Amino acid sequence: MRPKLSIIVPFYNEEESIRPMYAAIVAAIDPLNIGYEMVFVDDGSRDRTVLIGTELAQQDSRVRVVKFRRNYGQTPAMAAGIEHARGEILVTMDGDLQNDPADIGLFLDKMAEGYDIVVGWRHNRQDKMISRKIPSMIANRLIGKVTGVPIRDNGCSLKAYRGDLIKEIPLYSEMHRFIPAMASIAGPRIAEIKVRHHARQFGKSKYGLSRIYKVLLDLMVIKTVASFTSRPLLWFSLLTLPMLLIGMALLGITLYASMADKTMLSLPIAGTGVICLTSAVILISAGAFGELVYKLGDLRESQFSRLTQQVSTGHSAHALGRAQ
Amino acid sequence: MQPHTVKTLSVIVPVGWRCADAADLYTGYKHGLESLALPYQMIFVLDGPNPKFAAGLEQLAGSGEPIIVVKLTRSFGEATALMAGFEQAGGDIIVTLPAYHQIEADDIVKLVTGLDSADLCYGRRWPRAETWLAGRRRVAFHGLVSAVTGLKVGDLGCGARAMRRQVLVEISLYGDQHRFIPILADRLGFRVSEIDVRQSPKDHFEGSYRIREYTHRILDIFTVFFLVRFTKKPLRFFGMAGVSTFSIGLIITLILVIQRLFFNQPLADRPALLLSSLLVVLGLQLFAIGLLGELIIFTHAKSIKDYQVDRVIEFPPAESHEPGRQPETTNVRQ
Repeated sequence: MRPKLSIIVPFYNEEESIRPMYAAIVAAIDPLNIGYEMVFVDDGSRDRTVLIGTELAQQDSRVRVVKFRRNYGQTPAMAAGIEHARGEILVTMDGDLQNDPADIGLFLDKMAEGYDIVVGWRHNRQDKMISRKIPSMIANRLIGKVTGVPIRDNGCSLKAYRGDLIKEIPLYSEMHRFIPAMASIAGPRIAEIKVRHHARQFGKSKYGLSRIYKVLLDLMVIKTVASFTSRPLLWFSLLTLPMLLIGMALLGITLYASMADKTMLSLPIAGTGVICLTSAVILISAGAFGELVYKLGDLRESQFSRLTQQVSTGHSAHALGRAQ
Repeated sequence: MQPHTVKTLSVIVPVGWRCADAADLYTGYKHGLESLALPYQMIFVLDGPNPKFAAGLEQLAGSGEPIIVVKLTRSFGEATALMAGFEQAGGDIIVTLPAYHQIEADDIVKLVTGLDSADLCYGRRWPRAETWLAGRRRVAFHGLVSAVTGLKVGDLGCGARAMRRQVLVEISLYGDQHRFIPILADRLGFRVSEIDVRQSPKDHFEGSYRIREYTHRILDIFTVFFLVRFTKKPLRFFGMAGVSTFSIGLIITLILVIQRLFFNQPLADRPALLLSSLLVVLGLQLFAIGLLGELIIFTHAKSIKDYQVDRVIEFPPAESHEPGRQPETTNVRQ
């Protein structure tokens, strides 16, 4: 039977946190009286995280542990959790007890209102000012501006997704920060709610300032790819247009010179024209190649539109006997 | 946590153009393997027609030696030969051995026992008999590979490796990649360890393909470089290269234009114009290649996963034929 809710928690060397986390989830969700499961992803921990996770799974059949052979990082851990979750609604959260499972109820309420993605906003964040909060504020502004998905707190792991939708979104590299932005290619309804945030109790923070550079690069990549994925040929053609025009103009000058005024004939101008034209042709071919890649890939816009669409049927309209 | 049953061994010997006498080789390996006291099978894969070696193997089979011979119609390369042999292999532990005397056969034991604490052990011939120049070359090559991959490797040319079956199940080898098995296995999260084995006194290479050898090694480094660094994030690499090339070209163009407009230097007879436009165009194309690569990853992220799930721990353990299980979880469960 498909559970209503899957709670996905990645753990990396969190032997002290995993039991309290489990207890907190159970305490928070049991009163809600819904069928749920917990997917704990072990991101190649070297301590007793897996061992404790296995014990929990033995005691409680709602717990499943997805074990990585080595440490891959947060995005793959999230992606694996999403892949193995079976619930209708997937909730992701950090394994370091900084998110509070008691907030999950609020997320479910919001999802019930018809949103596809609900993201948490740590409005009283318990982290260091200089190294964590300020960079993240700047990053959030930037991410909002660039991706067009203005979320105040992209770094908050506590998020809820419609299961069918999020399973279709490609997640790789270090894109867990941009899941809402990535998901925006599917056109989801996104809501944001305030969540509690606790200071770290156990262990060390694993993510520091050094990530900014990678975040910026990933941001650029997402922006570019998301904007051209489904129509590469068009995108490449636009890229090519100025080159095509310059090339034509330069070759036009050369042609004119060779016929009217031999003294104006210039090798650099003719050469530049040829270079521009050639590369325009190559780029357009790249665009055609891109179309082929998209066609062979497993991303489908029709799939996205089906997942987020709302169909309203009028009273007089009736189904034509086509089984869903 | 491994169940303590008797392990079985499959030995795969890919036979390329460089090979020793079949009977001689077999006796040596047999002696080395028997000291392990584990049941084993031996699989020879003839990578392309090799009448002399094939005759030797037939003689061995005729005299009652339990060997399996796979003959490939043409030479597909060692990696493909290994995979062909693996299809016939039934053992829990796979041992690959070269078809010529490279290591002392008695040291195979070391590789197999090394698996107690690793998933893959490969041999490093040490101490090494080689000329001074060859030594420098080897150190330089492996130093570069180690720097690129972050895995310390000492002898990628050694064909003697022992690994758990699962390693070959998950690795997909093609072309010349057999040399990089340790690196690829490490990337998949397997524990890899290098074990010193004695070099066979017969292991010396009389060949005269110096230049080819060098180019191959350099291409190897390129392969590893791209395999490890950029297959997952093409736009990061090509995009950066493209943007920098583009910017240099743009700056030169701007200088030329300013000189034309304000200092009245004619633009038409300056070859620098060619250079600048070439750089601009090159930058765009590099960027386009990165974009295409990224598009491939982006649209295939489901099939080219950048993580490997070791196992899913759940109670009661799911049966693989359990009804109602979602199909995407079946292929990663072991």
